[in-house]
Parts: sequence; structure tokens; C-alpha cells
Amino acid sequence: MTTVPALGKITAPPDTMIVVDDVSKWFGDVVAVSEVSFTVGPGVTALLGPNGAGKSTILRMLCGLTAPARGEVRVLGCDPRADLGVLRSIGLVPQQETVFDGQTALEFVRLAAILHGLPDPHSSARWALGVVEMPADDPRKLTSYSKGMRQRVKVAQAIVHDPSVIVLDEPLTGLDPRQRLHMVDLFHRLGESGRCVVVSSHVLDEVERFGSRVLVIAQGRLAAVGDFRKIRDLMDDRPHRIRVRSNRAREVAGALLAGGAAIGVRLEDHDSVVIDTDEVQMFRHAIATAARQADARLLEVVPLDDDLDSVFRYLVGQQ
Amino acid sequence: MTEPATSAVVHAPARKRTRSVDNPPGAFMAVYRLLVRTMATRGRLLSLGILGLLGVIVGLSLGVSHPFDPLDVGTHFVDGFGLSVLVPVTTLVFASASLGDATEDGTLVYLWLRPVRRSRLVLAAFAASLTICMPLIGIPLVLAAILVHGGPELVSGTAMAVAVSVVAYCALFTAWGIRVRRALPWGLAYILLWEGFVARAGKSAGRLALLSYSQSILSEYTGVGLRLALSPLVVGIIVPLMVAILALAYATHRLEVQDVA
Repeated sequence: MTTVPALGKITAPPDTMIVVDDVSKWFGDVVAVSEVSFTVGPGVTALLGPNGAGKSTILRMLCGLTAPARGEVRVLGCDPRADLGVLRSIGLVPQQETVFDGQTALEFVRLAAILHGLPDPHSSARWALGVVEMPADDPRKLTSYSKGMRQRVKVAQAIVHDPSVIVLDEPLTGLDPRQRLHMVDLFHRLGESGRCVVVSSHVLDEVERFGSRVLVIAQGRLAAVGDFRKIRDLMDDRPHRIRVRSNRAREVAGALLAGGAAIGVRLEDHDSVVIDTDEVQMFRHAIATAARQADARLLEVVPLDDDLDSVFRYLVGQQ
Repeated sequence: MTEPATSAVVHAPARKRTRSVDNPPGAFMAVYRLLVRTMATRGRLLSLGILGLLGVIVGLSLGVSHPFDPLDVGTHFVDGFGLSVLVPVTTLVFASASLGDATEDGTLVYLWLRPVRRSRLVLAAFAASLTICMPLIGIPLVLAAILVHGGPELVSGTAMAVAVSVVAYCALFTAWGIRVRRALPWGLAYILLWEGFVARAGKSAGRLALLSYSQSILSEYTGVGLRLALSPLVVGIIVPLMVAILALAYATHRLEVQDVA
């Protein structure tokens, strides 16, 4: 079994490593990001939002790849757009899959090490590939790699210079479950070592596994900020619509209404009712009791509006 | 300015860094080698190599046909085929791709997001274009000039005109590739419409075409009058080099201010 190289620790990292202050960005008539403000410190922070919400634009601004139309972005106190020096402290895993033609993983990561001025680019590249558990001596070209392998190599080029801020744009896309586990573990290790790790995702369950602070972005606006559980609660507090299928659907619905776990009921079919509730936690507990009381068998309990878009729309509406 | 927090990082012993500001040693050569490799695709080398070979064959056939005035015939051939077609088309294909390909396929981010001066990236791209274009254009054209039997004036005039114009076009099209999406068709349109048509309409327009200066150099060396040869030798050399410097400065500026995908 190979040993994964250790990550260096950042001693006494500053509380705030990234500051985004009243930032807006538009492309022509399209507003991509609108009046977003937040700060990020050491540890893993997830940027959660549906596709097209403005996550990538925010991440690109954090790295200086695009300038805000209004407002200010500071990474470690510097403007990443104007200050070349701060790029030494930033590592980015971009969303796009393309890599340079004809390069092996080692050549690709070594190039990053050379451009960062590391004294021993070869050893640094081998170290970074070791951290992501990729073989450094693989003679195959990157373009022949699977998406998951390429993604890991992209992470290696982002950490080869040991940055204190690491930005990853949808890094789990295309990875198989084992690779996802490995990546999430790597993010945790990077975060625990005092680095500021910002990871974007449009998948709620993925973010849950980061177990981190979450910034919810929807329609270019910051919809919610906080610990994942707080966000989850916020999402649970919104009105929910749930379909319940049962051999005694009408009786189950009656019991839920009587117990206060439902605020509205619509009969769909002889074995199916749609329940409206604004207390989803209470509903989760009450449904089993209601079924037992009605001597009913539950065939299906399906949330009808649990897709991310509806959750985000609700959160934006709350702002 | 606040110092980045990297000073607080405890690195593994082998990975401690001592770096000069914005000038990592070996960065220029690393980017240069990378761009030469990504630019010089088999398809590009083959198609433009064949175009150059065509010039050698025509030069040879002109030479064996024993023309009445080989210098005049050779000068017009080098101008009509070499300076008007081979030089601009070859430099356009390679130089516009040097950073243009990376801009379009999104790999520029892997160069841009490093503490390397943008001017170094541009100079590396320019040097990579020159490395490929100079032999790919210079060898067949000088060989053709020799085979036509136009004398040393034609050979040295060809060499000088090609050298100066390749430098200018490479710089211009390096900037073009950064500035313009789909740089190849737009560049071809520039070559065909501006250099091939508008520039020939009058002296003022002619002076705004690089072709005019390469023709001037060739004409000064061979003594054969060419339509756009409007400048003395010194101007014919200095203006394209100035254009190259301005184009590289503009490319650097664009790379600093443009969004990177």
C-alpha cells in the first residue's frame, strides 16, 4: 500500500482569508452576480447553488480571472486581479476539462511547479501527485485519462505550490463514488491544515459530505450563509408538498391534519393524497404514527418540490 | 499592502521556496517549450510544409526554364508567392494559435494563474511562433530564390525580407490570437482583403500594409520595382520591427485586462 504524502500545516492562519464586498458582475445585459458580500476563513467552505447561479463567476473573481463590475474582492488582503504576487497563494481547479495536449500528468503538474518558481519542480510535482494518489511515472498522456483521473491531476496542479487558498469549481463532477470519497477526504485534510478551501457544487448531498460552512448562491445572489445544518433547517422550514400513497390514504391524511403536521390535503386518487406542510420535521415524525393510528400501509412518501431549484427559489424569496 | 499569508505556511523540507518576484527561473523556457509543442501539430506542419515545398518546385521550374531576366522573374515570384501568401498565411496559422488556442480551449488559465509577468507569456508565445515559422518559411523561399538563379541580390533580399516580415507578422498575429475569437478566418480575411486588395488601391493604404515594407526590402536589394515598394530600405526594416514591438505590448496589455475563461 502506498503512503499518501503529508500536507504542511498553516500555523495561525488569519481568521479572514477571502473578502467579497458588495460584488456585482454582469455580462452585457445579463447579471451574473448581484451585490454579494461574504468572508471566508480557514477550513472548507462550500458554494452551493444550481447551474447558472453565478458560482463559477464568483470563483473566477476570487482567482482574478475576471474583474467585478462593482465591489471589491480581496484574497489575503490583495486584489487577485491586480497583484500577481497573491497568485502564489491561490490554487484553482477549474471546471473545464481541457488540459494541454501531449502532456503526461507529471509534465502537467511540473509545469505548474516551474511557473510558481519552486526550487525542485520535479520533486514537488511527484509530491502533489502522491497527495491525490496518482502515479507520477505513468507514461500515458493526460488526454487518455478518465475524467476522474484528470480531475485528480488538476487538483495536484492546484496544490503543488502549497497555496493557502484553494478554489475548486465542481471538483466532484464525473468522479465515481470511491474517488468522491477520496476527494472529500482530501478537502477535509486541506481545510484542517489551516488552508482556506472553497468548493462549489450544485449537488446538495455532496455539500452535506463536506460538512462545512455553506454559501448558497441562487440567481446571482447570496441566498443563505451558515453551517450546513442551519441551511438544511432553513430549507426544511419552508412549506413542503409531499405525496403519500397508502392503502388508507384518506385516513392517514386525516390523522396528519388532526395532529397539526399537515396544513392542507388534496386527494389525488383512492390511494394517493398530496399533503402541504410547513413543519417538515414534525411531518417526518408524524407520518409513521398517523399510519399506525389509521392501521394503514405506507406505499410511498415522495417530496414533490425537493429539487434544488425550488429550494433555491424559496431561499431567494426569503431574502 | 498586506503580505499574503504564505509566510505562515510550514512546508515540507523539500518544498521550501525562494522565488524572485514575477520571474520564476525557467518559466519562459517552460512556456516556450509547451507552446512549440502544442502549436506544431502534424496537420499544420504538413499542410504548410507542402505549401513551402510547392514554392521550391516552382522556383526550380523557373530556374530550369532559363528566363530572360531571372532576377526580375525571381523577385516577382518571391513577392507574389512568398511575401504575399506563404509568409502571412504561415505566421497567421501558428502565431494566432500560440496563445489563441489556449484562450479558446480554456487551458490559458493554467498559464495565467501563475505569478509570471504577462509580458513573459507573450514573449514566449512570440518566440515559439518564430521558432516554427522562420525555418518553415525561410528555408523554402531562400532555396527557391537560389534555384531561380537570380543571383546573390535575390537570395539576400529574400532572406532579409522574409526575416523582417516573419518577425512583424508573428508579433501581429500573436496579439491577434489573444484579441480575436476565431482568429484564423478573420486573419485570412485581413490578408486577402486588406493586404491583397485595399492596400493596392493607393499609396496611403499601401503604407498601412506590412506587405509594403517587405516588398520595399526585396525591391531595394534586387532593384526590381514592385507595386507596394514605397519605402527606402531603412524604413522597410524599422517600421515592421516597430509594429512588432507595439503588437507585443498590446498583446501583453490584453492578457492583463481580459477575462480568462
